Parts: sequence; structure tokens; C-alpha cells
Amino acid sequence: MNVKIISAAILSGAIALAGCSSTGEQQSTSSSNDVKENKILPYSIHQKRLANGLNVVTVPFDSPGTAAFYTVFRVGARDEVEEGVTGFAHFFEHMMFRGTDKYSKSEYSAVLKSTGASANANTSQDRTVYHMTGNVAKLETMFEIESDRFMNLKYSEHDFKTEAGAVKGEYTKNSASPYQQIRVKMQSTAFTKHTYQHTTMGFLKDIIDMPNQYEYSLEFKDRFYRPEYATVIVVGDVTAKQVNELAQKYFGNWEKGSFKSVVSVEPTQTETRYVHLKNGGIPPYMSLNYKGPAFDDRKIEMPALDVLSAVLFSRTSPLFKKLVLDERKARFIGGGAGDSRDPNLFGIQASLYKAEDMQYVKDEIDGAIAEFKTNGVDKQKLDNIKSNLKYRFAMGIDNPSSIANSLASYVQLTGDPEAINRLYAQYSRVTEDDLQMVIEKYFVPTGLTIATISGNENGGVK
Amino acid sequence: MKRLTNLTYLSVLILAVSLFSKPILASNIIELSMPSSNKVIIKLMFKNGSISDPEGKEGLTYATAQLVAGGGTDVLSFSDIQDKIYPMASNYGVSVDKEVTIFTFAVHQDFLDEFYPIVKGLILNPAFDEKDFKRLMDGQQNFVDQVVRASSDEEYSKKALEDLLFRGTNYQHLKQGKSDSVKSITLDDIKSHYSKVFTTGRLTIGIAGNYSAGFVKQLKHDMQSLPSNRMLEVAAGKAREPNGLQIEIISKKNAFGSAIFTGFPLDITRSSDDFVALMVANSWLGEHRKSYSRLYQKLREQRSMNYGDYSYIEWYENGGRNMLPLAGVPRSSNYMSLWIRPVQIAKQLKQQYEELKDIQVGHAHFALRMAVRELDLMVKKGMSQKDFEATRSFLRSYTKLYAQTPSDRLGYLMDSNFYGRQNFLAEADILMEKLTLEDVNNAIKKYFQVENMFVTIVTDESEVDALRKSLLNNTKSPMSYSNSLKKGLPESILKEDNDVASYHLNVKTVKIIQSEDTFK
Repeated sequence: MNVKIISAAILSGAIALAGCSSTGEQQSTSSSNDVKENKILPYSIHQKRLANGLNVVTVPFDSPGTAAFYTVFRVGARDEVEEGVTGFAHFFEHMMFRGTDKYSKSEYSAVLKSTGASANANTSQDRTVYHMTGNVAKLETMFEIESDRFMNLKYSEHDFKTEAGAVKGEYTKNSASPYQQIRVKMQSTAFTKHTYQHTTMGFLKDIIDMPNQYEYSLEFKDRFYRPEYATVIVVGDVTAKQVNELAQKYFGNWEKGSFKSVVSVEPTQTETRYVHLKNGGIPPYMSLNYKGPAFDDRKIEMPALDVLSAVLFSRTSPLFKKLVLDERKARFIGGGAGDSRDPNLFGIQASLYKAEDMQYVKDEIDGAIAEFKTNGVDKQKLDNIKSNLKYRFAMGIDNPSSIANSLASYVQLTGDPEAINRLYAQYSRVTEDDLQMVIEKYFVPTGLTIATISGNENGGVK
Repeated sequence: MKRLTNLTYLSVLILAVSLFSKPILASNIIELSMPSSNKVIIKLMFKNGSISDPEGKEGLTYATAQLVAGGGTDVLSFSDIQDKIYPMASNYGVSVDKEVTIFTFAVHQDFLDEFYPIVKGLILNPAFDEKDFKRLMDGQQNFVDQVVRASSDEEYSKKALEDLLFRGTNYQHLKQGKSDSVKSITLDDIKSHYSKVFTTGRLTIGIAGNYSAGFVKQLKHDMQSLPSNRMLEVAAGKAREPNGLQIEIISKKNAFGSAIFTGFPLDITRSSDDFVALMVANSWLGEHRKSYSRLYQKLREQRSMNYGDYSYIEWYENGGRNMLPLAGVPRSSNYMSLWIRPVQIAKQLKQQYEELKDIQVGHAHFALRMAVRELDLMVKKGMSQKDFEATRSFLRSYTKLYAQTPSDRLGYLMDSNFYGRQNFLAEADILMEKLTLEDVNNAIKKYFQVENMFVTIVTDESEVDALRKSLLNNTKSPMSYSNSLKKGLPESILKEDNDVASYHLNVKTVKIIQSEDTFK
């Protein structure tokens, strides 16, 4: 799910934080009044932090008999800091299905099957998420099998090597897409030090070498599969009391760790970078990738960039109307900032009909940015965008999985699901001055990486 | 909200569907009133689909539907509409499949009155503007000329399998059409086609969410203004009966693996009560994206050959992206299929492992043998009581998750109507409750077999000749592991590998097709 599919807050709201208990546990709940009056999410978010650091989030939701159970680990490709082990966070997500002393791999499968749940996992740059949606009567079983594998995962070196083949299979299927191929090249060009230089899958050479990294995998588990990295989110036909009791029962004994990733800071880029893929088999493609900020719901920059992306690149933007609808130079155009923990990229993508139009389309994008700097945006347009953000969110949260997924995005970014409410409050405050500030700051040629695909030897875009 | 026992959970869900949802089936309207919802979903399902395309104009239904949804009305241009609906965050779109076209509109209840004139305008008075036509046809041409072959090898092999299964019928062509036929479509063709196959007699209206009785009445009344039927519905083409294993290998430049699909005609759909017996059998053999199915365990989990392996008893829309089956693709013409996600080719294995430098063929032959053999074993041995109970119990919970959102629930009800049912998911649950192991094993024997199948393999040009020879001659195809992995494999796996390597496939023909020659 696109993490930008969120909403706009009507009013800002103070965060209701309850006091600490004598055990070191913390609880907070957004009251129903906060919910109704101030916050984009029209449901209470109950939070309880266990003594070992595990955060437990409950959102009761009217879905009779069903609940979504998500566990978010704030570890992803970003944390693959050592040479030769890119792709490990994702690989580890695969290993999590390989059994414990209590449940062997096949027993785990049988128990999982007995829950009748839709269950899977996925990894991105900043986090790994394990999720199940199913029968709430099986909630305790979900807690039991999830806590067991997170705390007690045990696999042989042979199982480890076997799973590495499945990861290579995943890389193989993904590699068929030229868009994936150019993304791999683009990230390794835009970033030179920071771990965002590799995709979540990792570099192919490291994937091929994965079977030889058994010892490192044990180290990886020891570092990150700890309660202080994890948040459990349960949304659906449940109460906070019920969820908190189960969390204490099944995760209460999880031992806290101490590891902290040290991720290299990306040096300031000083000139435009270029990367090209020769492939005449698909429509020509161009992406312009500007260095942008990290996600921060307490600052106006990222919310302003989200609004700006709608001004410049939505279906109602003059640029879209000109290039896609009127002139038919582009099959598609879009853009937006990626939410991430460290500074990442603001990407603009265009799929074209003819490779010779690349420079023209690039010039038109530059022109739209220059036009905005000169003439700005009228208030009605700004209000329309804020309304769109708000209603899009409201229409999207119609089932437990979509709510849990949205909350997981903000847990990943900040550790706190209330960030969703703060972000939408920020959207409501964005002014034209904010938009001018971010466009001046981030849309600069020295922060740009241009990626192209065409049948030509070079991209040919300046 | 109290906690529920397992039994209560199932009962509640059935009630939720049958009582709270209140599906109302009039002659051509399906209602799902959800007063606590904040939105309204409207679905307009026309029984036409790509089988309604005239010969030589393949892709016309798709083009027509796209121009209605991607164009304007008599009073608003496409661009005007986008401006108007943007603050509402309303959205709409159209999907075209083999036998139906479905327009779906979603709007927040705050804006229903403001949004509805756009729905009405698009459907009753589409602009059919020349500029919109050119823009959308450019995109469609791009798709059939390039995108379908270049984006995903596994989707490519799936569509190539349909081309092979339904060759010579109205089910064969891509819904987007063929390169030449798309070029021949004119704006007049579209206008004429719209009046012929987007008609009242082919329409089923669906509505879900928070709406009034008055609104439904208005919607129904307005849709009566569509033209009445002017053309008889065409019969859906049936899959051909394969003679032995008929294989087509599609040769592609720079493919990284071998993407495989195989299938054969299946003379049963959701309309039949027997279908749920096959659902249980299929789930055990190869439930989509589930680690506990047989194919997944054998090919991926024990041998790490690829990312996953599954089986299907009906069309599954975009399996690479979807974890649960989407509504909106009902079909009366059916087939069974096995999906083997891309496996390694010899070129890659040779580069990666010194010990494999002499192999001629990658894993495709072995993988195909293993998947077909698993199906064969199921046909010969049937399921055990234990597996039957576990799989049935799983499915009775899992199918409830198919329709979680108002749009999905409405979609499943409309599909049910297509199959002559009221509520397939609820009815399937009741049928599964009564099901016995004997029912399932009888259905397996009646509908499944491995002697006659079509197979498509999209692979790298370096692999095709050796793979063709190996398949055609039923050459023994030992699994080529790296030494590092092989030394840890238990004896049972190696023994099974040996059986699989020489498992006889009833191969009759193996053709090599160049990628640029597919879908012509």
C-alpha cells in the first residue's frame, strides 16, 4: 500500500499520554473526543509499552469476528550496513517461516493453516512487517505462533541455504521488469554512502553469496529481533485489554537487546547524475530523482512536499493536462516523495511514446517547477488538495488490514502510530510559503539523478 | 465487541453476509445496504467482455470501455471531470474481462448527489471525443506491441497459456486485442459497439454502502435509458482438448529465468455444487501464495527452486500482485492450471556455480515434471482424511476474507449472480460443511488428469533449444543443485528427485515461438 494514501487532518490534536506504571510500562489512548473532533483516524489508538520495550497498539474496529494482527520491526535494507550482506533484512523475513523448537517448519505451517488467516510478510528500506488477518477466535494462536518464532526462531545451516534459493527465485521473477532494473541502477547512482543505495532485494552478487552467510544471519537475528525494534498492532473485533493481556503473556519474557545501527550519512550531491538502460522493448521511460528530506511529522517539509506533488503532478495539474491529455507526449506522468527514516528521493516518473520527446518532457517539467516559483498556486487549488487527502484517507479505511497497514507505515517511520494524526494535522497547515520553501530547497539540479530507459545507447537528457 | 468462539465466528460471518448485508436481487439489481459505511459503491456490470469483439476488431470492447471511463460526457470533458471530483477523492474505473465489463464508481456519502450526474453522464452520454480516442488507443497499441511481453515473464506465460488453450475461439485473444486489430479500430467502431453491447439487457446494477432507497430508484430508472439489446450475446469459446502435452517455448532475449504455466480444460464452474470439492483439492495441492500447499512445499520450501508454485481451478486476476482472489472476473469457460514461478536457467547456474558448468538445461524440465507428478499423485492417491479436514477447515475461514471491503463484497455478490447463485461465498461454506472426503476424491478423479495438457514456458533464448530437446525426448532431468546445498539434503529428497528426474511426461509436441510472434 502506498504510504502516501493517508489523509489530511482537520485540526491538530494534543496527544493524550497517560502516566507510567510502576513496572516501567507506559500506556496512552486517544480519547473518543480527540478522535471525533481532532484526528484523521476516527478510531481510538490504544498504546501500551511493555517493560521490555515492545509497543502494543490496539484499534478496536467494527469487523465482526475478524482482526488484523501486524508486527512491525523497524529493521530494513537501511540497516544492512556491512559490505557483502545487502538484502539480509528481506532474507531474514523469509527465514522467519523456518520453525522453532516448539513448532518445526511443517508444524508451524499446519498451525498457521488451522487459523484460516491470510498471512504474509514484506520488507522495505526501513522495516519488516509480518501480518495476519483472520478469525478473531484464533487471536491467541496468532500471538502464540508469532511470539514463538520472533523469540525462538531456530534453523539449520541447510535450511538457511535452501531458503537462499527462494530469495534468488524472487530476484529472478522481479528482474523481468525493466522498471525494476532501472530502479536498481538509479538507487546505486543517487546514493554513494547511505544504504539506500541498494534495493530491498540487495545486490545480485550478495544474493548469490547468501548461502555462505549463516553465521552472519545469527548475528542479524540477535541484533534486530528484539522487543525494542518491534510494535504489535491489532485492529478489529478486539479490546485493548484483551490484546494487552495476550501481549504480556506471549511477549512479556522477550529479552531486550542493545544494538543500534550506524548508517553512513550520504554526502551532499554536487552535480546532476545520469543513469540509462538500453531497452527498446518497452515505451521510453524517464525518472527525475531529487534528494529530499527524511519523514518528520513534526516539521512542515514532508507534508508540504506531498501537497506540492499534487499541485505539480496530479491528474488535475496543468503539466498532466498538457503532456498527457493535450499533446499526448507522455503516456503517464506522476511524482511524489518517498517517506523514509533518512533523507531519500523525491521522484518524478514519465512514460513516453517516443524517445525523442525525452528532452521536451524534461523541459516541460522544469518549466512547471519554474512556473510555480513565479506564480504559486491559488487558495482554491490548495483547499482542493487538502480535501482530496482527507477524503481519500476516509474512504480507504474500510477494513482492519488497511487500517493496520496505514498504522504500520507510521510506526516504521517514527515508532508512534499517532504520527498519522499529526501528519494530517500538518497537511491542514501547509501554506503557499511552505510550498515555495520546499521547492527552492529541494528542486535543485545539484541534487538530481536522471534515470532513463530507451532503445538508444544513451538517455540523451540534460 | 465480545470474543467469539470459532463456531460462533462462522455463524456470525454468515449472518453478516445474509442479514446485515441484505443482498437484494431484483431482476437486474443487486443491493448491499451498509448504513454505517461512509461511502457508496456503484458497479455496472455488462455481459459482453472481449468475447464480444468482432473478428478483426479484437480489443474493441476494451477500447470502448476505456473511452467511456477515460473520456468525458456531453457537458464535461475528461479534464473537467477530474477537476470536479478531485476534492471529493471520488474515483472510478473500468475492468474488462473475457465475458464482462464492469464500471466501478466510489464516492464518499458527502458527495453522492454532486457525483452522480458524472456517473450518469459517462454511461448515458459519453463524449466519444476524438482526442481522448487517440490518447487511449495509443496506450492500448503500446500495450499489445510492447508492454505485455516486457513487464513480467510470469504474466506473459499465463497469457500465452490462454492463447494456446483457446486458440481459434473468441476466448483466445488478449482483452486489449492484437497489434493489427487495435490499429484498425476507429472511433465509429467504438460508437457503434457501445450501442450494441452496452445495453439494458446485458446490464446488472450493483450498489453497496450508505445510500437511500430513492437513490437506487433513480439509478435504476436512469439506466433504463441505455439502448435495448440490438445484438445477440455470443457463446463463450471453450478450451481445446490437448493431445498429450503440447508445449510452446517462447524465446526471449535476456530473460533471467524460465516462467512456466500449464493447464487443461475444466468443465465446471462455481455454478456447480461440485466446485467446492475441487476448491478443497486445489487448496491442498496449490493454494495461491500459501506455504502449506503441496506444490509450494515440494518445489520451493524443500528445493528452493523458485519463489512459489500454485494451482488454480478458475481464472485468478494478477496473481503476482494479489494475495486474495479478486471479484469481477466471472467466466463460464474454465480450465485448470499450474503456475510455476520463474526457475533458474542453465546460463545463470553455470555462471554462479563452478560445479554446474557443464549443464545444458536449467531447472524448467525438472520443475515441470515435479509439478505434474504432484498432480498425478493426487489423482492416483486422493487426499487423506486428515488433509481433507485441515484444508476444509482452513478454506471455511479463509474464503470469508475474500470480501472484506464493501466493494469486494458487492463484487462477489455480482459474480454470484453471474453464476446463477445468490451468495457464492455463503453457499460454498454450507456446501463445504456437508462435504465428505469421498466427494473430494471423486471430484479429483472426475476432473483432474495429467496426460493431456498445454504448457507455455517463457525463457531466455540461450535455453530454448536444449530445453526443447530435453522435453521432446523425455530426457532424464536430474535436479542441478549447488554442491553446498546438495550436501545437506536428506536421502528422502534425493530419492524423490531421482524419481522425478525420470518421471514420464506425455509430451507430444514442443514448439519454439519467438517472443515477437506471440499473440498474433
